[in-house]
Amino acid sequence: MRRLLIGLAAGTLFVAATACGSSGSSGTDSASGTTTLKIGVIPIVDVAPMYLGQKKGFYSERGLKLEPTLAQGGAAIVPGVISGQFDFGFSNMTSLLVARSKNMPVKAVVNGVASTGKEGADFAEIAVKKGSPLKSAKDLEGKKVAANTLGNICDTSVNESVRKAGGDPSKVEYVEMPFDQMPAALDKGQVDAACVVEPALATIKSQGGTVLASNFVDVSPDLTVAMYFTSQQYAQKNPELVKKFQEATAESLKYADSHPDEVREIITTYTKIPDSLLKTLVLPRWPAEPDRASIERLAELGQQDGLFEKAPDLDKLLP
Amino acid sequence: MRGANTALGAAGLAGFLALWEAVPRLGLVKDDYFPPVSRVAGALATELGDEAFWTALGDTLTGWAVGLAIAVTAGILAGVVIAVVPHLRAATASTIEFLRPIPSVALIPLAVLLYGTELRSVLLLVVYASFWQILVQTLYGVQDVDPVAEETARSYGLGPWARVRHVLWPTALPYVMTGVRLAAAVALILAVTAELVIGAPGLGQRIAVAQTSQAVPEMYALVVVTGVLGLLINVGARTVERRALAWHQSVRGEVTV
Repeated sequence: MRRLLIGLAAGTLFVAATACGSSGSSGTDSASGTTTLKIGVIPIVDVAPMYLGQKKGFYSERGLKLEPTLAQGGAAIVPGVISGQFDFGFSNMTSLLVARSKNMPVKAVVNGVASTGKEGADFAEIAVKKGSPLKSAKDLEGKKVAANTLGNICDTSVNESVRKAGGDPSKVEYVEMPFDQMPAALDKGQVDAACVVEPALATIKSQGGTVLASNFVDVSPDLTVAMYFTSQQYAQKNPELVKKFQEATAESLKYADSHPDEVREIITTYTKIPDSLLKTLVLPRWPAEPDRASIERLAELGQQDGLFEKAPDLDKLLP
Repeated sequence: MRGANTALGAAGLAGFLALWEAVPRLGLVKDDYFPPVSRVAGALATELGDEAFWTALGDTLTGWAVGLAIAVTAGILAGVVIAVVPHLRAATASTIEFLRPIPSVALIPLAVLLYGTELRSVLLLVVYASFWQILVQTLYGVQDVDPVAEETARSYGLGPWARVRHVLWPTALPYVMTGVRLAAAVALILAVTAELVIGAPGLGQRIAVAQTSQAVPEMYALVVVTGVLGLLINVGARTVERRALAWHQSVRGEVTV
Protein backbone atom coordinates (compact mmCIF):
# COMPACT_ATOMS: atom_id res chain seq x y z
CA MET A 1 0.00 0.00 0.00
CA ARG A 2 2.70 2.45 1.00
CA ARG A 3 4.65 1.56 -2.10
CA LEU A 4 1.60 2.17 -4.22
CA LEU A 5 1.05 5.58 -2.64
CA ILE A 6 4.69 6.49 -3.23
CA GLY A 7 4.32 5.37 -6.84
CA LEU A 8 1.23 7.49 -7.32
CA ALA A 9 2.87 10.51 -5.76
CA ALA A 10 5.95 10.07 -7.95
CA GLY A 11 3.71 9.71 -10.99
CA THR A 12 1.89 12.90 -10.18
CA LEU A 13 5.15 14.77 -9.70
CA PHE A 14 6.46 13.43 -12.99
CA VAL A 15 3.32 14.58 -14.77
CA ALA A 16 3.53 18.00 -13.20
CA ALA A 17 7.17 18.27 -14.19
CA THR A 18 6.51 17.30 -17.81
CA ALA A 19 3.60 19.68 -18.01
CA CYS A 20 5.86 22.53 -16.91
CA GLY A 21 8.64 21.43 -19.20
CA SER A 22 6.56 21.38 -22.34
CA SER A 23 5.15 24.84 -21.94
CA GLY A 24 7.08 27.74 -23.38
CA SER A 25 8.84 25.54 -25.90
CA SER A 26 7.88 27.86 -28.73
CA GLY A 27 11.06 29.36 -30.11
CA THR A 28 11.72 33.08 -30.01
CA ASP A 29 14.71 35.32 -30.19
CA SER A 30 17.58 34.00 -28.19
CA ALA A 31 20.86 35.67 -27.38
CA SER A 32 22.41 34.37 -30.59
CA GLY A 33 19.76 36.19 -32.65
CA THR A 34 18.43 33.01 -34.21
CA THR A 35 14.67 32.57 -34.42
CA THR A 36 13.17 29.11 -34.51
CA LEU A 37 10.15 28.83 -36.77
CA LYS A 38 7.72 25.96 -36.43
CA ILE A 39 6.53 24.85 -39.84
CA GLY A 40 3.60 22.49 -40.31
CA VAL A 41 4.28 20.34 -43.36
CA ILE A 42 3.17 17.05 -44.88
CA PRO A 43 5.90 14.47 -45.49
CA ILE A 44 5.73 14.70 -49.29
CA VAL A 45 7.99 15.54 -52.21
CA ASP A 46 6.51 19.07 -52.49
CA VAL A 47 8.30 20.46 -49.44
CA ALA A 48 11.76 19.19 -50.44
CA PRO A 49 13.05 22.71 -51.25
CA MET A 50 12.52 23.78 -47.65
CA TYR A 51 14.64 20.90 -46.35
CA LEU A 52 17.22 21.54 -49.06
CA GLY A 53 17.32 25.26 -48.30
CA GLN A 54 17.84 24.49 -44.64
CA LYS A 55 20.76 22.20 -45.51
CA LYS A 56 22.24 24.81 -47.83
CA GLY A 57 22.02 27.45 -45.11
CA PHE A 58 19.58 29.78 -46.90
CA TYR A 59 17.55 30.08 -43.71
CA SER A 60 20.37 30.17 -41.18
CA GLU A 61 22.17 32.98 -42.99
CA ARG A 62 19.04 35.05 -42.35
CA GLY A 63 18.95 34.08 -38.70
CA LEU A 64 16.17 31.52 -39.12
CA LYS A 65 16.10 28.00 -37.84
CA LEU A 66 13.32 25.79 -39.14
CA GLU A 67 11.58 23.19 -37.07
CA PRO A 68 9.47 21.24 -39.54
CA THR A 69 6.66 19.33 -37.87
CA LEU A 70 5.19 16.53 -39.91
CA ALA A 71 1.44 16.80 -39.74
CA GLN A 72 -0.63 14.03 -41.17
CA GLY A 73 -2.62 15.75 -43.87
CA GLY A 74 -3.47 19.38 -44.35
CA ALA A 75 -6.39 19.06 -41.96
CA ALA A 76 -4.11 19.59 -38.99
CA ILE A 77 -2.06 22.36 -40.60
CA VAL A 78 -4.60 25.14 -41.20
CA PRO A 79 -6.04 25.06 -37.65
CA GLY A 80 -2.50 24.62 -36.34
CA VAL A 81 -1.35 27.84 -38.00
CA ILE A 82 -4.46 29.79 -37.05
CA SER A 83 -4.22 28.76 -33.42
CA GLY A 84 -0.51 29.60 -33.37
CA GLN A 85 0.84 26.08 -32.92
CA PHE A 86 2.81 26.55 -36.13
CA ASP A 87 4.33 29.82 -37.33
CA PHE A 88 4.00 28.77 -40.95
CA GLY A 89 2.29 25.96 -42.77
CA PHE A 90 2.17 24.36 -46.20
CA SER A 91 -1.19 23.89 -47.86
CA ASN A 92 -2.71 23.44 -51.28
CA MET A 93 -4.28 26.53 -52.87
CA THR A 94 -7.87 25.30 -52.82
CA SER A 95 -7.73 24.71 -49.06
CA LEU A 96 -6.38 28.24 -48.61
CA LEU A 97 -9.09 29.67 -50.89
CA VAL A 98 -11.78 27.82 -48.95
CA ALA A 99 -10.33 29.02 -45.64
CA ARG A 100 -10.17 32.60 -46.94
CA SER A 101 -13.76 32.46 -48.22
CA LYS A 102 -14.81 31.48 -44.70
CA ASN A 103 -12.92 34.53 -43.45
CA MET A 104 -10.34 32.44 -41.67
CA PRO A 105 -7.30 34.70 -41.21
CA VAL A 106 -4.84 32.83 -43.45
CA LYS A 107 -2.21 34.72 -45.41
CA ALA A 108 -0.12 33.06 -48.12
CA VAL A 109 3.46 34.30 -47.91
CA VAL A 110 5.56 32.51 -50.48
CA ASN A 111 5.18 30.06 -53.34
CA GLY A 112 5.12 26.37 -52.53
CA VAL A 113 4.91 24.13 -55.55
CA ALA A 114 3.67 24.31 -59.14
CA SER A 115 2.55 21.96 -61.90
CA THR A 116 5.24 20.94 -64.38
CA GLY A 117 2.88 22.08 -67.12
CA LYS A 118 3.75 19.01 -69.16
CA GLU A 119 0.76 17.00 -70.34
CA GLY A 120 1.25 13.41 -69.19
CA ALA A 121 4.38 14.20 -67.18
CA ASP A 122 3.13 16.07 -64.14
CA PHE A 123 3.58 15.16 -60.47
CA ALA A 124 -0.20 14.78 -60.15
CA GLU A 125 -2.28 12.91 -62.69
CA ILE A 126 -5.53 11.12 -63.32
CA ALA A 127 -4.23 7.57 -63.46
CA VAL A 128 -5.87 4.30 -64.51
CA LYS A 129 -4.67 0.75 -64.11
CA LYS A 130 -2.99 -1.37 -66.74
CA GLY A 131 -5.37 -2.30 -69.52
CA SER A 132 -8.13 0.08 -68.44
CA PRO A 133 -10.84 0.62 -71.06
CA LEU A 134 -10.91 4.36 -70.25
CA LYS A 135 -9.24 6.40 -72.98
CA SER A 136 -9.92 10.04 -72.15
CA ALA A 137 -11.21 12.17 -69.30
CA LYS A 138 -14.65 12.15 -70.98
CA ASP A 139 -14.86 8.41 -70.22
CA LEU A 140 -14.90 9.23 -66.49
CA GLU A 141 -18.64 9.96 -66.75
CA GLY A 142 -20.44 7.48 -64.54
CA LYS A 143 -17.14 6.13 -63.20
CA LYS A 144 -15.61 6.11 -59.74
CA VAL A 145 -12.64 8.41 -59.27
CA ALA A 146 -10.53 8.43 -56.11
CA ALA A 147 -9.68 11.83 -54.62
CA ASN A 148 -7.72 12.38 -51.41
CA THR A 149 -10.18 14.98 -50.08
CA LEU A 150 -13.64 15.68 -51.44
CA GLY A 151 -14.47 19.28 -52.25
CA ASN A 152 -10.86 20.19 -52.81
CA ILE A 153 -8.21 20.63 -55.48
CA CYS A 154 -8.50 17.06 -56.78
CA ASP A 155 -12.15 17.08 -57.74
CA THR A 156 -12.23 20.67 -59.04
CA SER A 157 -9.25 20.01 -61.30
CA VAL A 158 -10.50 16.60 -62.46
CA ASN A 159 -13.87 18.23 -63.23
CA GLU A 160 -12.00 20.67 -65.47
CA SER A 161 -10.25 17.81 -67.28
CA VAL A 162 -13.61 16.14 -67.90
CA ARG A 163 -15.10 19.41 -69.15
CA LYS A 164 -12.17 20.03 -71.47
CA ALA A 165 -12.57 16.55 -72.93
CA GLY A 166 -16.22 17.33 -73.65
CA GLY A 167 -17.74 15.40 -70.77
CA ASP A 168 -20.14 16.26 -67.97
CA PRO A 169 -18.28 16.46 -64.65
CA SER A 170 -21.50 16.15 -62.62
CA LYS A 171 -21.69 12.50 -63.74
CA VAL A 172 -18.35 11.63 -62.15
CA GLU A 173 -18.56 9.84 -58.83
CA TYR A 174 -15.77 10.80 -56.43
CA VAL A 175 -14.58 8.50 -53.68
CA GLU A 176 -12.50 9.83 -50.82
CA MET A 177 -9.34 7.86 -50.06
CA PRO A 178 -5.75 8.64 -49.05
CA PHE A 179 -3.24 8.83 -51.92
CA ASP A 180 -1.23 5.89 -50.63
CA GLN A 181 -4.22 3.55 -50.86
CA MET A 182 -5.04 4.47 -54.45
CA PRO A 183 -2.65 2.01 -56.19
CA ALA A 184 -4.27 -0.93 -54.40
CA ALA A 185 -7.79 0.42 -54.97
CA LEU A 186 -7.15 0.78 -58.70
CA ASP A 187 -5.67 -2.69 -58.78
CA LYS A 188 -8.69 -4.23 -57.12
CA GLY A 189 -11.10 -2.26 -59.27
CA GLN A 190 -12.64 -0.42 -56.32
CA VAL A 191 -12.19 2.76 -58.35
CA ASP A 192 -11.84 3.24 -62.10
CA ALA A 193 -9.41 6.13 -61.94
CA ALA A 194 -7.50 8.09 -59.33
CA CYS A 195 -6.43 11.69 -58.86
CA VAL A 196 -3.03 10.79 -57.48
CA VAL A 197 0.29 12.48 -56.67
CA GLU A 198 3.84 11.22 -56.29
CA PRO A 199 5.07 8.81 -54.97
CA ALA A 200 1.84 6.80 -55.24
CA LEU A 201 1.72 7.81 -58.91
CA ALA A 202 5.13 6.19 -59.46
CA THR A 203 3.83 3.01 -57.82
CA ILE A 204 0.87 2.92 -60.21
CA LYS A 205 3.15 3.49 -63.21
CA SER A 206 5.55 0.77 -62.02
CA GLN A 207 2.62 -1.66 -62.12
CA GLY A 208 1.81 -0.76 -65.70
CA GLY A 209 -0.82 1.89 -64.95
CA THR A 210 -1.14 4.82 -67.32
CA VAL A 211 -2.04 8.49 -67.27
CA LEU A 212 -5.51 9.38 -68.52
CA ALA A 213 -5.22 13.16 -68.25
CA SER A 214 -3.20 15.82 -66.46
CA ASN A 215 -5.72 17.55 -64.26
CA PHE A 216 -3.43 20.30 -62.95
CA VAL A 217 -2.21 21.16 -66.44
CA ASP A 218 -5.83 21.30 -67.57
CA VAL A 219 -6.54 24.02 -64.99
CA SER A 220 -3.46 25.99 -66.01
CA PRO A 221 0.00 24.93 -67.23
CA ASP A 222 1.52 27.19 -64.59
CA LEU A 223 -0.85 26.17 -61.82
CA THR A 224 0.32 27.18 -58.37
CA VAL A 225 -0.68 24.05 -56.48
CA ALA A 226 0.34 24.94 -52.94
CA MET A 227 1.88 27.77 -50.93
CA TYR A 228 3.45 28.41 -47.56
CA PHE A 229 1.16 30.49 -45.40
CA THR A 230 0.83 32.01 -41.98
CA SER A 231 -1.94 33.66 -39.97
CA GLN A 232 -2.82 37.32 -40.36
CA GLN A 233 -2.01 37.99 -36.72
CA TYR A 234 1.44 36.46 -37.09
CA ALA A 235 2.11 38.38 -40.31
CA GLN A 236 1.11 41.65 -38.64
CA LYS A 237 3.19 41.00 -35.55
CA ASN A 238 6.31 39.70 -37.30
CA PRO A 239 6.67 41.44 -40.67
CA GLU A 240 10.46 41.08 -40.53
CA LEU A 241 10.37 37.34 -39.92
CA VAL A 242 7.80 36.84 -42.66
CA LYS A 243 10.02 38.76 -45.08
CA LYS A 244 13.08 36.71 -44.15
CA PHE A 245 11.14 33.47 -44.48
CA GLN A 246 9.85 34.64 -47.86
CA GLU A 247 13.32 35.45 -49.16
CA ALA A 248 14.94 32.28 -47.85
CA THR A 249 12.16 30.08 -49.21
CA ALA A 250 12.20 31.79 -52.62
CA GLU A 251 15.95 31.16 -52.79
CA SER A 252 15.41 27.52 -51.76
CA LEU A 253 12.73 27.06 -54.42
CA LYS A 254 15.00 28.46 -57.11
CA TYR A 255 17.87 26.26 -55.98
CA ALA A 256 15.70 23.14 -55.85
CA ASP A 257 14.34 23.82 -59.33
CA SER A 258 17.81 23.70 -60.83
CA HIS A 259 19.25 20.86 -58.71
CA PRO A 260 16.90 17.88 -59.12
CA ASP A 261 19.54 15.36 -58.01
CA GLU A 262 20.01 17.10 -54.69
CA VAL A 263 16.23 17.22 -54.32
CA ARG A 264 15.96 13.45 -54.76
CA GLU A 265 18.68 13.02 -52.19
CA ILE A 266 17.11 15.29 -49.56
CA ILE A 267 13.76 13.50 -49.92
CA THR A 268 15.28 10.38 -48.35
CA THR A 269 15.97 12.33 -45.15
CA TYR A 270 12.34 12.99 -44.25
CA THR A 271 10.35 10.36 -46.17
CA LYS A 272 10.88 6.64 -46.60
CA ILE A 273 10.32 6.57 -50.34
CA PRO A 274 12.09 3.42 -51.64
CA ASP A 275 15.00 3.90 -54.06
CA SER A 276 13.16 2.20 -56.92
CA LEU A 277 10.39 4.84 -56.81
CA LEU A 278 12.69 7.74 -55.99
CA LYS A 279 14.50 7.38 -59.31
CA THR A 280 11.34 7.38 -61.41
CA LEU A 281 9.09 9.87 -59.67
CA VAL A 282 8.23 13.10 -61.46
CA LEU A 283 9.40 16.16 -59.57
CA PRO A 284 7.11 19.20 -59.54
CA ARG A 285 8.28 22.67 -60.53
CA TRP A 286 9.31 25.16 -57.87
CA PRO A 287 9.11 28.69 -59.26
CA ALA A 288 9.99 31.38 -56.74
CA GLU A 289 6.80 33.35 -57.41
CA PRO A 290 3.17 32.17 -57.38
CA ASP A 291 1.20 32.50 -60.61
CA ARG A 292 -1.73 34.75 -59.82
CA ALA A 293 -3.67 34.07 -63.02
CA SER A 294 -3.67 30.33 -62.31
CA ILE A 295 -4.90 30.92 -58.75
CA GLU A 296 -7.72 33.11 -60.12
CA ARG A 297 -8.67 30.26 -62.43
CA LEU A 298 -8.64 27.83 -59.51
CA ALA A 299 -10.89 30.19 -57.53
CA GLU A 300 -13.31 30.41 -60.47
CA LEU A 301 -13.46 26.64 -60.73
CA GLY A 302 -13.98 26.31 -56.99
CA GLN A 303 -16.88 28.73 -57.20
CA GLN A 304 -18.31 26.86 -60.18
CA ASP A 305 -18.13 23.60 -58.21
CA GLY A 306 -19.74 25.22 -55.19
CA LEU A 307 -16.76 25.00 -52.82
CA PHE A 308 -17.48 28.59 -51.82
CA GLU A 309 -20.38 30.90 -52.56
CA LYS A 310 -18.42 34.10 -52.91
CA ALA A 311 -15.04 34.25 -54.63
CA PRO A 312 -12.39 34.68 -51.95
CA ASP A 313 -10.52 37.98 -51.85
CA LEU A 314 -7.18 37.18 -53.45
CA ASP A 315 -5.67 40.50 -52.45
CA LYS A 316 -6.12 39.55 -48.84
CA LEU A 317 -4.79 36.04 -49.37
CA LEU A 318 -1.76 36.50 -51.61
CA PRO A 319 1.46 38.24 -50.60
CA MET B 1 3.11 -28.50 -18.15
CA ARG B 2 4.76 -25.12 -18.48
CA GLY B 3 7.24 -26.45 -21.03
CA ALA B 4 4.46 -27.94 -23.11
CA ASN B 5 2.63 -24.63 -23.12
CA THR B 6 5.71 -22.79 -24.28
CA ALA B 7 6.25 -25.35 -27.04
CA LEU B 8 2.65 -25.00 -28.17
CA GLY B 9 2.94 -21.23 -28.13
CA ALA B 10 6.11 -21.33 -30.20
CA ALA B 11 4.52 -23.75 -32.66
CA GLY B 12 1.52 -21.45 -33.02
CA LEU B 13 3.74 -18.48 -33.71
CA ALA B 14 5.84 -20.42 -36.21
CA GLY B 15 2.68 -21.52 -37.97
CA PHE B 16 1.45 -17.94 -38.16
CA LEU B 17 4.77 -16.71 -39.58
CA ALA B 18 4.82 -19.54 -42.14
CA LEU B 19 1.31 -18.61 -43.22
CA TRP B 20 2.32 -14.94 -43.52
CA GLU B 21 5.28 -15.94 -45.69
CA ALA B 22 3.17 -18.25 -47.85
CA VAL B 23 0.11 -16.10 -48.53
CA PRO B 24 1.90 -13.37 -50.54
CA ARG B 25 4.33 -15.88 -52.10
CA LEU B 26 1.45 -17.98 -53.42
CA GLY B 27 -0.05 -14.85 -54.90
CA LEU B 28 -3.21 -14.92 -52.74
CA VAL B 29 -2.58 -11.23 -52.03
CA LYS B 30 -0.25 -9.00 -54.01
CA ASP B 31 3.13 -8.79 -52.30
CA ASP B 32 3.25 -5.09 -53.23
CA TYR B 33 0.63 -4.46 -50.57
CA PHE B 34 1.29 -7.35 -48.22
CA PRO B 35 4.95 -8.35 -48.37
CA PRO B 36 6.06 -11.76 -47.03
CA VAL B 37 7.35 -11.86 -43.47
CA SER B 38 10.96 -12.27 -44.57
CA ARG B 39 10.92 -8.90 -46.32
CA VAL B 40 9.19 -7.25 -43.36
CA ALA B 41 11.83 -8.75 -41.07
CA GLY B 42 14.54 -7.21 -43.25
CA ALA B 43 12.84 -3.82 -42.99
CA LEU B 44 12.52 -4.29 -39.24
CA ALA B 45 16.24 -4.95 -38.93
CA THR B 46 16.96 -1.72 -40.81
CA GLU B 47 14.53 0.15 -38.54
CA LEU B 48 16.21 -1.17 -35.40
CA GLY B 49 19.52 0.19 -36.65
CA ASP B 50 18.05 3.68 -37.14
CA GLU B 51 18.43 6.15 -34.31
CA ALA B 52 15.24 7.97 -35.33
CA PHE B 53 13.30 4.78 -34.71
CA TRP B 54 14.37 4.67 -31.06
CA THR B 55 13.47 8.33 -30.61
CA ALA B 56 10.03 7.57 -32.03
CA LEU B 57 9.68 4.58 -29.72
CA GLY B 58 10.64 6.79 -26.79
CA ASP B 59 8.05 9.40 -27.81
CA THR B 60 5.32 6.79 -28.01
CA LEU B 61 6.24 5.27 -24.65
CA THR B 62 6.35 8.73 -23.04
CA GLY B 63 2.87 9.53 -24.33
CA TRP B 64 1.65 6.17 -23.12
CA ALA B 65 3.25 6.30 -19.67
CA VAL B 66 2.43 9.91 -18.83
CA GLY B 67 -1.12 9.55 -20.11
CA LEU B 68 -1.67 6.34 -18.19
CA ALA B 69 -0.20 7.82 -15.00
CA ILE B 70 -2.55 10.81 -15.18
CA ALA B 71 -5.54 8.59 -15.94
CA VAL B 72 -4.76 6.15 -13.13
CA THR B 73 -4.24 8.89 -10.54
CA ALA B 74 -7.28 10.88 -11.57
CA GLY B 75 -9.46 7.81 -12.07
CA ILE B 76 -8.73 6.32 -8.66
CA LEU B 77 -9.07 9.61 -6.78
CA ALA B 78 -12.29 10.56 -8.55
CA GLY B 79 -13.64 7.02 -8.24
CA VAL B 80 -13.08 6.76 -4.48
CA VAL B 81 -14.44 10.25 -3.79
CA ILE B 82 -17.53 9.73 -5.94
CA ALA B 83 -18.20 6.29 -4.48
CA VAL B 84 -17.79 7.37 -0.86
CA VAL B 85 -20.07 10.40 -1.10
CA PRO B 86 -23.57 9.04 -1.93
CA HIS B 87 -24.99 12.30 -3.27
CA LEU B 88 -22.01 12.80 -5.53
CA ARG B 89 -22.54 9.37 -6.98
CA ALA B 90 -26.17 10.10 -7.83
CA ALA B 91 -25.25 13.47 -9.25
CA THR B 92 -22.50 12.17 -11.55
CA ALA B 93 -23.87 8.80 -12.67
CA SER B 94 -25.72 10.05 -15.75
CA THR B 95 -22.91 12.40 -16.76
CA ILE B 96 -20.39 9.56 -16.58
CA GLU B 97 -22.64 7.34 -18.65
CA PHE B 98 -22.97 10.14 -21.17
CA LEU B 99 -19.27 10.94 -21.47
CA ARG B 100 -17.88 7.43 -21.27
CA PRO B 101 -19.03 6.12 -24.66
CA ILE B 102 -17.69 9.15 -26.57
CA PRO B 103 -14.80 7.71 -28.57
CA SER B 104 -11.54 9.42 -27.76
CA VAL B 105 -10.69 9.81 -31.45
CA ALA B 106 -13.70 12.12 -31.78
CA LEU B 107 -11.67 14.61 -29.74
CA ILE B 108 -8.91 14.78 -32.38
CA PRO B 109 -10.09 18.09 -33.87
CA LEU B 110 -10.21 19.59 -30.38
CA ALA B 111 -6.75 18.24 -29.56
CA VAL B 112 -5.30 19.70 -32.78
CA LEU B 113 -6.89 23.06 -32.11
CA LEU B 114 -5.64 23.21 -28.52
CA TYR B 115 -2.19 21.68 -28.77
CA GLY B 116 -1.33 21.10 -32.45
CA THR B 117 0.94 18.12 -32.92
CA GLU B 118 2.52 18.31 -29.47
CA LEU B 119 2.70 15.59 -26.87
CA ARG B 120 -0.18 17.25 -25.06
CA SER B 121 -2.66 16.42 -27.81
CA VAL B 122 -1.63 12.77 -27.50
CA LEU B 123 -2.12 13.00 -23.76
CA LEU B 124 -5.58 14.48 -24.16
CA LEU B 125 -6.72 11.44 -26.15
CA VAL B 126 -4.88 8.88 -24.04
CA VAL B 127 -6.14 10.27 -20.74
CA TYR B 128 -9.71 10.61 -21.95
CA ALA B 129 -9.81 7.01 -23.17
CA SER B 130 -8.16 5.34 -20.19
CA PHE B 131 -9.63 7.49 -17.42
CA TRP B 132 -13.11 5.95 -17.74
CA GLN B 133 -11.76 2.40 -17.56
CA ILE B 134 -10.20 3.14 -14.19
CA LEU B 135 -13.01 5.30 -12.87
CA VAL B 136 -15.73 2.78 -13.60
CA GLN B 137 -13.72 -0.13 -12.18
CA THR B 138 -13.00 1.88 -9.05
CA LEU B 139 -16.68 2.68 -8.66
CA TYR B 140 -17.61 -1.01 -8.96
CA GLY B 141 -14.83 -1.96 -6.59
CA VAL B 142 -15.96 0.44 -3.89
CA GLN B 143 -19.54 -0.70 -4.32
CA ASP B 144 -18.42 -4.25 -3.61
CA VAL B 145 -17.35 -3.43 -0.04
CA ASP B 146 -18.98 -5.87 2.37
CA PRO B 147 -21.44 -3.83 4.54
CA VAL B 148 -20.78 -6.16 7.50
CA ALA B 149 -17.04 -5.54 7.28
CA GLU B 150 -17.69 -1.83 6.97
CA GLU B 151 -20.02 -1.83 10.01
CA THR B 152 -17.55 -3.94 11.98
CA ALA B 153 -14.74 -1.50 11.24
CA ARG B 154 -17.01 1.34 12.27
CA SER B 155 -17.97 -0.30 15.56
CA TYR B 156 -14.30 -0.94 16.33
CA GLY B 157 -13.88 2.79 16.08
CA LEU B 158 -11.88 3.02 12.87
CA GLY B 159 -11.83 6.55 11.43
CA PRO B 160 -12.73 7.38 7.82
CA TRP B 161 -9.14 7.21 6.57
CA ALA B 162 -8.49 3.89 8.35
CA ARG B 163 -11.68 2.45 6.88
CA VAL B 164 -10.62 3.50 3.37
CA ARG B 165 -7.20 1.98 4.02
CA HIS B 166 -8.23 -1.33 5.64
CA VAL B 167 -11.70 -2.07 4.30
CA LEU B 168 -12.44 -0.14 1.12
CA TRP B 169 -9.06 -0.29 -0.60
CA PRO B 170 -8.44 -4.06 -0.25
CA THR B 171 -11.90 -4.73 -1.66
CA ALA B 172 -11.54 -2.27 -4.51
CA LEU B 173 -7.96 -3.11 -5.46
CA PRO B 174 -8.69 -6.17 -7.64
CA TYR B 175 -11.21 -4.11 -9.61
CA VAL B 176 -8.81 -1.18 -9.89
CA MET B 177 -6.05 -3.47 -11.11
CA THR B 178 -8.31 -4.87 -13.82
CA GLY B 179 -9.04 -1.28 -14.79
CA VAL B 180 -5.35 -0.45 -14.92
CA ARG B 181 -4.62 -3.46 -17.11
CA LEU B 182 -7.39 -2.54 -19.55
CA ALA B 183 -6.37 1.12 -19.50
CA ALA B 184 -2.74 0.26 -20.23
CA ALA B 185 -3.72 -1.42 -23.49
CA VAL B 186 -6.21 1.30 -24.44
CA ALA B 187 -3.61 4.00 -23.71
CA LEU B 188 -1.16 2.41 -26.15
CA ILE B 189 -3.80 2.18 -28.86
CA LEU B 190 -4.75 5.82 -28.42
CA ALA B 191 -1.13 7.00 -28.28
CA VAL B 192 -0.36 5.32 -31.60
CA THR B 193 -3.66 6.48 -33.13
CA ALA B 194 -3.02 10.08 -32.14
CA GLU B 195 0.43 9.98 -33.70
CA LEU B 196 -0.93 8.34 -36.82
CA VAL B 197 -3.81 10.76 -37.34
CA ILE B 198 -2.53 14.02 -35.88
CA GLY B 199 1.13 13.56 -36.71
CA ALA B 200 2.52 13.92 -33.19
CA PRO B 201 6.03 12.46 -33.06
CA GLY B 202 6.21 8.73 -32.35
CA LEU B 203 5.79 5.31 -33.93
CA GLY B 204 2.37 6.21 -35.33
CA GLN B 205 3.80 9.15 -37.23
CA ARG B 206 6.57 6.92 -38.55
CA ILE B 207 3.96 4.47 -39.79
CA ALA B 208 2.14 7.31 -41.52
CA VAL B 209 5.32 8.56 -43.19
CA ALA B 210 6.15 5.05 -44.40
CA GLN B 211 2.60 4.74 -45.71
CA THR B 212 2.64 8.02 -47.66
CA SER B 213 6.10 7.11 -48.96
CA GLN B 214 4.83 3.82 -50.41
CA ALA B 215 7.39 2.03 -48.23
CA VAL B 216 5.17 -0.97 -47.55
CA PRO B 217 7.60 -3.39 -45.80
CA GLU B 218 8.76 -0.61 -43.44
CA MET B 219 5.14 0.17 -42.62
CA TYR B 220 4.38 -3.43 -41.65
CA ALA B 221 7.64 -3.62 -39.70
CA LEU B 222 6.49 -0.69 -37.58
CA VAL B 223 3.03 -2.18 -37.19
CA VAL B 224 4.68 -5.34 -35.87
CA VAL B 225 6.63 -3.22 -33.38
CA THR B 226 3.42 -1.70 -32.02
CA GLY B 227 1.98 -5.20 -31.72
CA VAL B 228 4.98 -6.42 -29.75
CA LEU B 229 4.74 -3.31 -27.60
CA GLY B 230 1.11 -4.12 -26.83
CA LEU B 231 2.09 -7.65 -25.90
CA LEU B 232 4.86 -6.48 -23.57
CA ILE B 233 2.57 -3.95 -21.93
CA ASN B 234 -0.03 -6.64 -21.32
CA VAL B 235 2.55 -8.98 -19.79
CA GLY B 236 3.86 -6.13 -17.67
CA ALA B 237 0.39 -5.14 -16.49
CA ARG B 238 -0.37 -8.74 -15.53
CA THR B 239 2.85 -8.95 -13.54
CA VAL B 240 2.04 -5.75 -11.67
CA GLU B 241 -1.47 -7.05 -11.04
CA ARG B 242 -0.18 -10.33 -9.66
CA ARG B 243 2.28 -8.58 -7.37
CA ALA B 244 -0.24 -6.07 -6.09
CA LEU B 245 -2.81 -8.79 -5.44
CA ALA B 246 -0.41 -11.43 -4.09
CA TRP B 247 -2.53 -11.59 -0.91
CA HIS B 248 -5.81 -11.97 -2.79
CA GLN B 249 -7.46 -15.35 -3.08
CA SER B 250 -7.79 -15.13 -6.87
CA VAL B 251 -4.03 -14.90 -7.25
CA ARG B 252 -3.11 -17.21 -4.36
CA GLY B 253 -5.48 -19.77 -5.78
CA GLU B 254 -3.70 -19.66 -9.11
CA VAL B 255 -0.33 -20.27 -7.51
CA THR B 256 -1.26 -23.29 -5.37
CA VAL B 257 -2.93 -25.25 -8.15
